[in-house]
This record gives sequence, structure tokens and C-alpha cells, in this order.
Amino acid sequence: MSDDAHNNDSHHNLMVDNKKLFMWLFLGSDCMFFGTMISTHLIYRKLYPESFDPTSLFSLELTSFSTFILLMSSFLMALAVSAMHKSDIKSFRRNTLGVIFFGLIFLACQVYEFTEFVHEGLTLKSGTFGSTFFMLTGTHGVHVAIGLFWLTCMYFYSFTGKMDPHESAIDVEVAGLYWHFVDIVWIIIFTVIYLIEFIK
Amino acid sequence: MPDTLSTSNADHSGEEQKYHAFINLALVLAAITGIELVLVYLPINGTFIFATLVSLSLFKFFSVIAWFMHLLYDKLILTLAFVTGLAIASGTVVALMFIMDRGFVDFEAISAF
Repeated sequence: MSDDAHNNDSHHNLMVDNKKLFMWLFLGSDCMFFGTMISTHLIYRKLYPESFDPTSLFSLELTSFSTFILLMSSFLMALAVSAMHKSDIKSFRRNTLGVIFFGLIFLACQVYEFTEFVHEGLTLKSGTFGSTFFMLTGTHGVHVAIGLFWLTCMYFYSFTGKMDPHESAIDVEVAGLYWHFVDIVWIIIFTVIYLIEFIK
Repeated sequence: MPDTLSTSNADHSGEEQKYHAFINLALVLAAITGIELVLVYLPINGTFIFATLVSLSLFKFFSVIAWFMHLLYDKLILTLAFVTGLAIASGTVVALMFIMDRGFVDFEAISAF
């Protein structure tokens, strides 16, 4: 067996690219990570419902806007992956830049929201609600920031001339999977942490 | 050569179909987010709103996974890899929510710390 054939096999042991398989496994484990943080928040809300009323603090309009922005960034990410499969590097750059722009808007909204909360007296140390809320949304924010860094690196790398559309398509797809995951986690956070608080 | 061309054309037509699916899904997801925002302010039964919000949220969650994340078009093993983690995570959330009920928790023991 030649070296090339051996390398090819090592990338497709299960008829699936190993990078993709590992990313899906990582996302599965990240589900457990977020699952525990979401349950911690819900349990403390259930045990101490009277400790804090977040409805006066939350701005549902702002959070809905953030959710819309993140969903649209996911849409652009799907287009970027599709463009890479068509070897259309210009379209890939355009869509990736859109994802980065939307991601930055999302982070800016989160920073604005956190700043407002801290001014109103809700901090990491102010009680169980503050601790679990900032831990959960903050960890999600860190995930978004990592995704943005990854996509920005990929965007600039595409200008070096070393990015072969055929070979790099899988790398873009893996980065896309991570970005979409960040989006689906936010879909759950938006409903469970924000919307449900407003039900009377 | 003609074979390569026809394969390439088929690939591009597949991507074209996905493109339309992505646009439709993006519009549906945006509409659902708007509906969710309006729903919480409506003066109707809380349980009904809760059930609707959870259903809409799950629909959004699985739609993104199926279409944007390509799981619908990919190998079954990838679905299994992800669903295993997701099942353990959801099982943990549900189990903890049942275990940590107000009736089962010793608040005096907690406040002693």
C-alpha cells in the first residue's frame, strides 16, 4: 500500500472523514457540558423562585434581536460551506465575512446586556441567579468568541493562496458545524432562560 | 470526461437545491423567533404558551441540525455520534429536574453551610 493510499484510509476509516466524525463527537460531549449548566440554572430557579425576578431586567426585544442575528449567521455559514463545495472561494469569503460581522453584533449585544445587568446590581456574586446566569451565557459567549476567531483565521487564510477549495472544504464544514452548534445552544438558552420567565 | 462533467453538474444541482432549502429554513426560523416574542405577551393559558414555546424551540433546534448542519444528507454514524451525547445530556437534565424537587431537598441542611 502506498503512503498516499495509507493516508487516505486513515482519513476515512468509517467511510466518514475523521475530522468531521471527531467534531460531531466533540459536539455531543459539549451538549453534556451545556446540559449540566442549563440544569443547574433551572434547579436553582425551581428551588429559590422568589430569590430574583429577572423580568424587570431582561429586554426580550434585544435578546430576540440577538437570536435573529445568530440564526442569520448560521444561514450565511451554511452558504459559505455550500460555496466551498462548489469551489467558489469568492462566495465563501463573502459569506464568511457576513458570519463574522453577525457574530460580532451578537457579542456586542451580549456585552451591552451584561453591562446593563451589572449596573442594575446583578453580578456573579449577587446570588444563585446571577451565578448560574452569567456562567451559562458567559460560557456560550466564549464559544461564540472562539468560533469567531476560528472563522477569522480561515477568512484570512483564504487570501494566502494555500487554501485549495477541494481539500479545504472539509475544514470549512467542520468550522461550520461548530458555528451551527453555538446557534442551537442559543436557541435553547433563549427559550429556557429568557422566554419562560415571562410566562404568567 | 463526460462522466466527470455530469457528476460535477449533479453536485452543483444538489448544492442549488440545498441553497433554496437554506433560504426557506432561514425565513421560517426568523418567523418563529418573531412568533415566540409575541407569544409570551399574549394573555392566554400559561401551560399552552409553555408547551408551544418548547415545541417551537425544539423545531428550530432540530431543523438547524438537519439542514444547516447537513445531518440529513450525511452518514448515519454522525447522527449516532451526536445523538448519543444529546441523549445523555437531555436525560441528565430531566433526571436532575425530577430529583431536585422542593419536596426532596433539605433546605435546613443547605443553609447550615
